[in-house]
Amino acid sequence: MEPGMKTEISFILNGREIQVAVNSHHRLIDVLRDQLEQTGTKEGCGEGECGACTVIIDGQAVNSCLYPALEVEGKSVTTIEGLRGPKNELSVIQQSFVEHGAIQCGFCTPGMIMSAKALIDSNSDPSEEEIREALQGNLCRCTGYVQIVEAVKKAAARLKEKQ
Amino acid sequence: MKHFTYYKPQSLDEVWELKRKTPDALFIAGGTDVMVSIKNREIHPQALISLRSIPGLDSIDTGQVARIGALSTISDILHNPELKKDFPVLVEAARSLGSVQIRNVATIGGNLCNCSPCADMALPLLVMEAKVRLQTAQEKREIPIDEFFKGPGESCLASEEILTDILLEPPQKNTKTSFLKKGRVKMDLAVASVAVRLEMQGKKCRKARVAAGSVAPVPLRLLKVETALEGEALTQKHAAEAQRLAEDNVIPITDIRSTEEYRRQITGVLVKRAIERALEWSRA
Repeated sequence: MEPGMKTEISFILNGREIQVAVNSHHRLIDVLRDQLEQTGTKEGCGEGECGACTVIIDGQAVNSCLYPALEVEGKSVTTIEGLRGPKNELSVIQQSFVEHGAIQCGFCTPGMIMSAKALIDSNSDPSEEEIREALQGNLCRCTGYVQIVEAVKKAAARLKEKQ
Repeated sequence: MKHFTYYKPQSLDEVWELKRKTPDALFIAGGTDVMVSIKNREIHPQALISLRSIPGLDSIDTGQVARIGALSTISDILHNPELKKDFPVLVEAARSLGSVQIRNVATIGGNLCNCSPCADMALPLLVMEAKVRLQTAQEKREIPIDEFFKGPGESCLASEEILTDILLEPPQKNTKTSFLKKGRVKMDLAVASVAVRLEMQGKKCRKARVAAGSVAPVPLRLLKVETALEGEALTQKHAAEAQRLAEDNVIPITDIRSTEEYRRQITGVLVKRAIERALEWSRA
């Protein structure tokens, strides 16, 4: 395979199986934003420090800016676009962020919410310490994190009630 | 990103074949360092050979001798109950490495092969006297981990050689360990870090292993500190002596993260605290 040549990959994106031809040197975030027009996922630092590009792959939060696109072959990827409900309504975590003022400029929010979702999916009753650890890789320059932690705590409690 | 070809071999045989055809290709594991270096134009590989799809390289066996596949992610190690029981110092270091997103992708083999003096996983392996298995198309060899690191970014790996497994002997009874890391913020790279293993017999220390990171061209065993502790009934006096010897035996540099002076001093403090914590004199 020569540079510039595309390879067809198939993976599950937000519950739907898709095929896309990707460049060898492209990262997952390039494919999501530029080819699949899923621009909810943001690129901040592009170095795995800020977490704005966080998506969930097979249940685990990862930085899509460091993930070679070819490696998602056969995997299941969830992005912020995959969280909305059947009638386009916000998910519990998203709603909780809105209600707690956990969003200001909003650039970190999709990544922040994906990290929160990965946490709550694997731990339905996280402590504040566990929430802070799960969000360590997501930088927010606006809110000071207090509202974000509150929002995640409340969302986890609501989801637990629903169960 | 600069263009490169990305190969996903499905077996080691395929790896050797690709490496023979494209000798300049770089091996990539989790990619959390390699992808950043490419983006920042520090390296310009024409091709990457991914080791992620090779069966068995990412498994962990906790039998008589624990075997950790080099492609195991830091999260795999952090969440392995057997490793947590037998090698808590390894799990503590895993917890200190990067963010959740990084730990879910970064591998223990990648952390070692990147050969950073601040590699978090190197210190617990040094004090546990781990062995590493290295393999080429022709040859397999097994070496002690302290022969692996040669300098910043340099290991003893030949260009076509890969790290396949890390081997850990089960700990002796009454083994006390601790890992401490000082960074600017928790997910930052270490300013300095320390791991200790003390094999105790009552109050007496039968064997001591002490290692420090970010204070020399390679992750460093502090042999003089070890000697000062071995054979002694340990008291605060020995911890203070270990602190002094640690300060005298590291060779740090000043860089963007810290100064030489601060690194020297904090390493001493970390060694003292790590001993106190391992022996449960304190919970620092």
